[in-house]
Amino acid sequence: MKNIALGQYYPAKSPLHRLDPRIKVLLALIYICAAAFCKNIIGFGVLLVSALLIVALGRIPFKTIFRSLTPVLFVMLFAVFFQVFFTKGDMLLFAWWKLQIYGEGLYLALFTIVRIFTLIIGTSMFLTYTTTPIELTYAIEDLLSPLKKLKVPVHDFAMMMTLALRFIPTLVEEADKIMTAQKARGADFSTGSLVQRAKALKPVLIPLIVSAMRHAVELAVAMECRCYHGDGTRMVVRKCRFSDIAALIVMIIFLAGIIYLNILGLVYTA
Amino acid sequence: MSEISVENVSFFHGKGTPYEIKALDGVTLNIVPNTITGIIGHTGSGKSTLVELFNGILKPAEGRVLLDGADIWAKPKEIRNVRFRVGLVMQYPESQLFEETIRQDIAFGPRNMGLSEQEIEERVIEAAGFVGLGKDMLDKSPFDLSGGQKRRAAIAGIIAMRPDVLILDEPAAGLDPAGREAIFSNIMEYRKNSGSTVVIVSHSMEDMARYCDRVMVMSEGKLIMNGTRDEVFSKPERLAEAGLDIPQITKLMLLLRERGIEVDTGVYTSERAYEELIRLFKKDTAQSR
Repeated sequence: MKNIALGQYYPAKSPLHRLDPRIKVLLALIYICAAAFCKNIIGFGVLLVSALLIVALGRIPFKTIFRSLTPVLFVMLFAVFFQVFFTKGDMLLFAWWKLQIYGEGLYLALFTIVRIFTLIIGTSMFLTYTTTPIELTYAIEDLLSPLKKLKVPVHDFAMMMTLALRFIPTLVEEADKIMTAQKARGADFSTGSLVQRAKALKPVLIPLIVSAMRHAVELAVAMECRCYHGDGTRMVVRKCRFSDIAALIVMIIFLAGIIYLNILGLVYTA
Repeated sequence: MSEISVENVSFFHGKGTPYEIKALDGVTLNIVPNTITGIIGHTGSGKSTLVELFNGILKPAEGRVLLDGADIWAKPKEIRNVRFRVGLVMQYPESQLFEETIRQDIAFGPRNMGLSEQEIEERVIEAAGFVGLGKDMLDKSPFDLSGGQKRRAAIAGIIAMRPDVLILDEPAAGLDPAGREAIFSNIMEYRKNSGSTVVIVSHSMEDMARYCDRVMVMSEGKLIMNGTRDEVFSKPERLAEAGLDIPQITKLMLLLRERGIEVDTGVYTSERAYEELIRLFKKDTAQSR
């Protein structure tokens, strides 16, 4: 239960974990662009290799990665199905009754898989696995700070997000404790009809809401005691280091390379 | 009388994740029926995990938990019956209160047992009586009570199931001295009347010394001492290894003994120390006369 609370974050010491979270958000965005723009078989090869490289850099076990890919498997299969059976081209490989499979369809299906795979690796490796949710919020606040000039309350939104994230583990832990306490009194959460199970949650939800309210009030008092009033004059001390800038430059070159390969239009272009 | 025993039990928190912790490591023990057993240890020593194994809230990764010689996990579907026989009061149990009235809240456990309304009512009044909540309190909302009263109402919720073994995890945590005193005297009262086995988890040596017949000491997931109160407290060096200390008053007595004063060192409460010192004083004045 507690693993859910901490999101997907995977604690480890790696170059990716050490990168500035703002840079990581930018890296993820650029990487997604690269995966989306890529149209070329060499480009896809490069993408695939880069995805594996990124996983290695983040020191995340492949097992964990594959577990996160399983929910998307269905989407992949769906896309592959349509690409294979509904693409018309010149290279007819197989025909039976009304079904025709063309070489182009297989290419497209392969590319779709690579594209989805790299999109997921890109976002999860840069954002969820190696960046804590709190770091991510700071990063988003910082990157969106130009909007403050347009009177968008960026800081308030970021603070709300931080607080919400901060209390997920607390509430999950509390829900866990309350469920245990009610189980000790013979509560049964796992058998009975849907209605019965929903009713069985009442002894958990009421104490949980009560405690959430208490947390909110206590937190508000604690924040006011420290004179917090969200005027946005606070700052986070975190400066970009040389390695952060270097990573950004490498990623921009990577995107440029992918686009260049598109222009060359080598071998096969979808 | 039900007897809990644990055979070579190990337990992990967060198994298979990067956060895996070995909470219990090959623990074997036996809760002697009709006694008050204290389980003591530092934060994170595994004492709460241990008691959650006793009533089948947690399932051991290795080893067996036996109730009257039968493995409690032999029939996983009937684990609820184990929970009715081994009542567990969790830490800060007041957070489990949820009903509109205290009466209904205390009745939650007995109702899950499938008892008749009449029997439930009887048990609610009895349990509330044990923890010093009068009949006039029963129709109040549990959220209107003071902290100490909430705690006692929650304990009554377990007592109302009439468990053979009552386990309390830090029953007095966060209460003022008067509240602590009240909770413990309620527990003692209950024990005297019901004759059930009681297990108290605590990190306060003073509480252990005062109320428990037997003491078990946990350290880093292992059971390092197990015996009667006198046996355990006579080895302050071993307690120190676990980062624990003997009661302050016993320490004082040991220091007196070191200076050549013939006091009884098996003294764990200030009342006993008072008697012992008066006895010495009288002996002393008798001799000098």
